[in-house]
Amino acid sequence: MAISAATKAATDALAVNRAPVSVGAQEVHRWMQSFTWDFEKNRTKYSTKYKMANDTKEQFKLIAKEYARMESVKDERQFGSLQDVLTRVDAANRVHPKWNESMKVISNFLEVGEYNAIAATGMLWDSATAPEQKNGYLGQVLDEIRHTNQCGYINYYFAKQGQDAAGHNDARRTRAIGPLWKGMKRVFSDGFISGDAVECSINLQLVGEACFTNPLIVAVTEWASANGDEMTPTVFLSIETDELRHMANGYQTVVSIANDAAASKYLNTDLNNAFWTQQKYFTPVLGMMFEYGSHFKVEPWVKTWNRWVYEDWGGIWIGRLGKYGVQSPASLRDAKKDAYWAHHDLFMIAYALWPTGFFRLSLPTAEEAEWYEANYPGWYDMYGKVYDEWRARGCEDPNSGFLPLQWFIENNHPIYIDRVSQVPFCPSYCKGASSLRVLEFNGKKHSFSDQWGERMWLSEPERYECQNIFEQYEGRELSDVIAEGHGLRSDGKTLISQPHTNKNGKLWTLDDIKKINCVFNDPLKAL
Amino acid sequence: MSTSSNAYGAGIMAKTGKAFADEYFSEENQTVHESNEVVLVLKKSDEINSVVHEILLGDRKEDNATLIVEDRAGYWWLKATGKIEIDCTEVSELLGKHFSVYDLLVDVSSTIGRAYTLGETFTITSELMGLDVKLQDFETAAA
Repeated sequence: MAISAATKAATDALAVNRAPVSVGAQEVHRWMQSFTWDFEKNRTKYSTKYKMANDTKEQFKLIAKEYARMESVKDERQFGSLQDVLTRVDAANRVHPKWNESMKVISNFLEVGEYNAIAATGMLWDSATAPEQKNGYLGQVLDEIRHTNQCGYINYYFAKQGQDAAGHNDARRTRAIGPLWKGMKRVFSDGFISGDAVECSINLQLVGEACFTNPLIVAVTEWASANGDEMTPTVFLSIETDELRHMANGYQTVVSIANDAAASKYLNTDLNNAFWTQQKYFTPVLGMMFEYGSHFKVEPWVKTWNRWVYEDWGGIWIGRLGKYGVQSPASLRDAKKDAYWAHHDLFMIAYALWPTGFFRLSLPTAEEAEWYEANYPGWYDMYGKVYDEWRARGCEDPNSGFLPLQWFIENNHPIYIDRVSQVPFCPSYCKGASSLRVLEFNGKKHSFSDQWGERMWLSEPERYECQNIFEQYEGRELSDVIAEGHGLRSDGKTLISQPHTNKNGKLWTLDDIKKINCVFNDPLKAL
Repeated sequence: MSTSSNAYGAGIMAKTGKAFADEYFSEENQTVHESNEVVLVLKKSDEINSVVHEILLGDRKEDNATLIVEDRAGYWWLKATGKIEIDCTEVSELLGKHFSVYDLLVDVSSTIGRAYTLGETFTITSELMGLDVKLQDFETAAA
């Protein structure tokens, strides 16, 4: 067939100078960074007091094509494992019942964090001026969408394939009554998306991701495996393969402001506030989920925390930045105390308030009590003996008429909610770094558990106006609140939450709660 | 059990009960201490297991004698002083198929330190990339 003169000319030219059949991804990345935008009209939802430099790098030199290929391989491996071998071996029913309950909390709460991180990194994309830094943030936006879907999927998988679906499905409907929800929204939502953009990056990337995703998404997989759960490692370790780029984004955010005069004035305060905000919730909640939500223990939570938070994040991230003026967080001493004791304090309160949750809790067995005492000397005298008393009073039995919350009332140990973190605490019966502080503002009383949150509140009290459950339901009877707050299973009478994980144990119903006539009181009214 | 200071259960982690608490709450441990170590978490997979056994603990073991690798159920936990490097052209040769640095990233689950890619090499280092040391562009490196 005859060819045109133009085609012949092109063919002849290519015979002399071969065109490249492919271009390396990093060559493309380098070329693309020469493009830029007009930042004169750049606008952001929240501005930042820092000036971000415009020559910051993206450490992995990722372009969309390689990104998409990489992520599709991750998803193929993850969903392939879940839908093939893990279903075939009935993996979801091999999970220890206690751990099944922990995953209701961990995966549902992480989903919220991932969802809010979409907005957070979108905001950072708006704020940054360096093309490579924008590229890094853009990749993270896409990652967070993937993670939100992954967390939703693992709950769906547990609910469909596993045991006791209530709580894996539609946990969010209990968000008004569950005392852990509001604190989670503070760290996973407000801390990521509200305020100075760089401060949000420090909360999300430098502290949330570089520090706490390691216990939350990596170490958790070891606890999961030990308790028969192979779905969580399959999904969570895949999530974490994106987190290293997010940690790099957080580090590059710091690099971008390192030479800005504002950094020497504000960075250490912002870092300390972010560290305290994140640790105040993650430290006790993760410790509680790992230790009290498992049957087989991997190691004491305080050791997990010491490794990932203190030694590695503290030493390798924060310690190395010391010569650029970054200081050890001022709140570290209290955080370390919390890492040792606060999860024990929180479990005690969580168990006392169990009817308001969306997951089942169980008291430590005698064997577990020995483990706690060996690893946390003094545990039995503070906590173990109380659990013995609760058990003797029939706290697991719907016919007992006993809710552990009554023990706190009988012994004059009021439970408060920290206004800033929204974490419940009992100042007269705790070993973590909590003590009661009360301030008044606009005719309303506010309780605080520590100086760090109190300082944050004093600088912007209007930011922390969220009602806690004691204020919201003051004077209301508990069963009435549970029914209103969707705390019931599909039969319309059995509570989603239960004070045991015994498959053959009796389940509490709304009538069992109603008989006790427990009424919400706001402890601040008594002060 | 490894006696390396980089081991998972090294130092204070080897202690239990009161001995652990005494060191944990000691005054010197109430502030962070600068560390020149790096930590790498590799999700177990067909390719990653080969990288760990045949390269990091095999042909390249002498490159960094401080490297510790521990089996933590679903993942390999690695810690070393200074840096850990993985050259994916070597991985390609080992596996007998093309394996780019982005194929490696499919199973790199976490990093503590400054991680980056340059060409087909993945590096995690204790150096402060972008502050103390310039992050190289691909073009600059090739020149």
